Amino acid sequence: MKLRSRAAFAAMLTTGALVLTGCGASGGAATGDNTAGPTGGTLSIGSLVDVTSFDPAASHVGHYMQYYQPVYDTLIMREPNGDLSPMLATDWEYDETETELTLNLRDDVTFTDGEKFDAEAVKANIDHFKVANGPQASTAASIEAVRVVDEDTAVIELSQPDPAILLYMAASAGFMASPAALDTEGIIGTPVGSGPYILDTDSTIAGATYTYAKNPDYWNPDLQKFDEIVIKPMQDVTARVNALVSGQVNAALLDAKTAPQGTGAGLNEITNPVDWQGLFLFDRGGVQAKPLGDVRVRQAINYAIDRQSLLDSLLLGNGEITSQVTGTSSAGYVKKLDERYDFDPKKAKSLLAAAGYPDGFDLTLPVNSADTIINAAIVQQLADVGINATQVVIPSTDYRNEIFTGKYSIGYYGIFQGDPWVAVNHHIGPNAAFNPLKYTDEKSAALIEKIQAGDDDAAKEFTEYITEEAWFAPFYRVNQLYFFDKTVTVENQLQQAVPSIYNYAPTK
Amino acid sequence: MLIFLLRRLVAGILLLFVISTITYVLLYFSSDGIAQNILGEFATPEQIALKQAELGLDQPLPVRYVEWLGGAITGDFGRSWFNSEPVVTALFNRLPVTLTIVLGALVIAAVLAALLGVAAAIKRGWIDRAVQLLSLAGDALPSFVVAIVLVTSLAIQAKIFPATGFVPFSDNPALWLMSIALPITALVFQLVAQAAQQFRSAIIDVRRRDFVRTLRSRGLPEREVVFKHVLRSAAPAALTILSLQFVGLLGGSVIIEQIFALPGVGPLAVLSTTQGDIPVVMGVVVYTVIMVILVNLVVDLVNGWLNPKVRVS
Repeated sequence: MKLRSRAAFAAMLTTGALVLTGCGASGGAATGDNTAGPTGGTLSIGSLVDVTSFDPAASHVGHYMQYYQPVYDTLIMREPNGDLSPMLATDWEYDETETELTLNLRDDVTFTDGEKFDAEAVKANIDHFKVANGPQASTAASIEAVRVVDEDTAVIELSQPDPAILLYMAASAGFMASPAALDTEGIIGTPVGSGPYILDTDSTIAGATYTYAKNPDYWNPDLQKFDEIVIKPMQDVTARVNALVSGQVNAALLDAKTAPQGTGAGLNEITNPVDWQGLFLFDRGGVQAKPLGDVRVRQAINYAIDRQSLLDSLLLGNGEITSQVTGTSSAGYVKKLDERYDFDPKKAKSLLAAAGYPDGFDLTLPVNSADTIINAAIVQQLADVGINATQVVIPSTDYRNEIFTGKYSIGYYGIFQGDPWVAVNHHIGPNAAFNPLKYTDEKSAALIEKIQAGDDDAAKEFTEYITEEAWFAPFYRVNQLYFFDKTVTVENQLQQAVPSIYNYAPTK
Repeated sequence: MLIFLLRRLVAGILLLFVISTITYVLLYFSSDGIAQNILGEFATPEQIALKQAELGLDQPLPVRYVEWLGGAITGDFGRSWFNSEPVVTALFNRLPVTLTIVLGALVIAAVLAALLGVAAAIKRGWIDRAVQLLSLAGDALPSFVVAIVLVTSLAIQAKIFPATGFVPFSDNPALWLMSIALPITALVFQLVAQAAQQFRSAIIDVRRRDFVRTLRSRGLPEREVVFKHVLRSAAPAALTILSLQFVGLLGGSVIIEQIFALPGVGPLAVLSTTQGDIPVVMGVVVYTVIMVILVNLVVDLVNGWLNPKVRVS
């Protein structure tokens, strides 16, 4: 057979040229076409993550919320500023012991499969959420059972007062799916909820595009600002910035390095300080590393860190330096504590000397293999005051699990700044997942009890206490950098990595 | 011929077995934090223990391996530990995308390299120098650098091609072509480099041979001499290079798929590896080994068909 590669190549070129000229105008047509107006059109979002299962019990918070919110309503809605407002529950009330939460429910909601939303549905969902052992299962830890009083009244019985329960009912634990679909395998790929949109499985390619079409029978048309929502998972920030800048998506999260491209392309930006990053001083009891048991040593570490230059070089200034681990949105936030520890290596050295370590001491520092720059900076700045940190390199995939096993006295990490009780359970209290050495003392235990009862003044006192006692050495609050084009307006969602679906609207 | 195929098949299966065993053992030693990864930050020790029992993470290595192997041989690679999707389904859904770009890049690179090699070897002069320079550039520039340059110039500024995304052929053939054009070009650039050089050297060498002079003296047109006879003798060297580069191509395609947000095996491989989703990782490894074996086999067969002298009988 003759090799007619030259002819074949020529043919290919010609076809290619014809195709190109034919589609020149529509190149990039696989984009979200946004018609401006009070409502309508398509919203295209680039997401950092991909949804793995539409079972609400498998839902994570943060970035994942955008996948579930179009199809599932929550019992309670969290407004962009953090306030709670009715959604599937019209109102709610605690009893005097604060262990029984009565929810009055809407009676006019039907799931897309025809099943009615009622108290039985609430019970079915929460029961399922608890046993499914999903990533947010622990948020339902204090829920013992759900009691059905009548069709539109359900009582959530708690094992102990939990000030965060209302917040959780506005998040993963609050997503309500049709009870008929809950224990089926189908729910993994096809959500059955009562939300403002329905997943259009014909136009959905798992891993590439999730298309949500307006739910014609939705009970709250005010929340349906678009005819269609398209979410595209793009793990790589390069893909996201390219898609944003070329108009393929209307909104996406960028990072410090790609933000200038977004600004350069004339896109709008909103920032949201969701996490703080810095050093966890796990061993504040001095059990493994004796020096850390002395508050002066821990304060010295705080004085040794040059927060501003780290922020400027690593995050290009996208954040705020702070000395407290409590976020600005929390009831426990005390503004003046942001500046409690300035950069003062001399003071650090004198504190160390006063504590009995004039020549410093040795410390084992676990480091994330992927964070070479910050590791070097931390080691250098500690060394400048005499603390000799020996690095133990941990592969980035194992880092989070490793440093919280209790093997290490200190570790660098970034973590969510939640409301007081959430933060206590998250990384501050003795039983917190991220407090491996379980440090506690009398004063903090007493304050934590008051926080559990919802005492905001105690929350502030607690922040002052742990900052003064230098339980941590936080560096800065990190800004999430969210970019969107001129066809939409977007509002930040408090304490959430990306805005809720309800916070997007076409530009008027 | 049959014995040749059979021998390659057996060698391939042995290779598959060895690589999957090594991979499984390595993964076993880093499987400590997986239950925690699946359950998330707030998991209690009891929940973690429950999850570990559920996934069989508390079993000893030989037991776990034999269980996996037993399933794998029958084609059941289990389910993802993170979303319970059957591994085979996950791979099959994503294979078409990856195969399109990878095999597309391979074929186009082979054809382009042949043409460039012929042009360089026969015309010599400035064409030869140009091709050599291009080869140098292709060798030096990693595919993701080329990809980023292409996206910035042709997608964002000139707005000819889409910056990200994959349109299935069944949806719209024209848009499908547009969505794979840039990714394939990025991959082809590096592949062509070495193969073109190989073609060029081999063609120069073969043209000097006696049988070529004989063909010319018989009055055959130059074009027929080159394309029908010389190229056939010169091809094996270059095609072998291409098949060896295929492994690198698979690796490069992972990055390309991330940059262009293509729903191929790449993002699946990255995610499952970082999360520790062992069933999926094993599936990806097995698929990769099979692909490499198949491509090498096909190239050997093509070489044998092109040039009977190199056939192994």
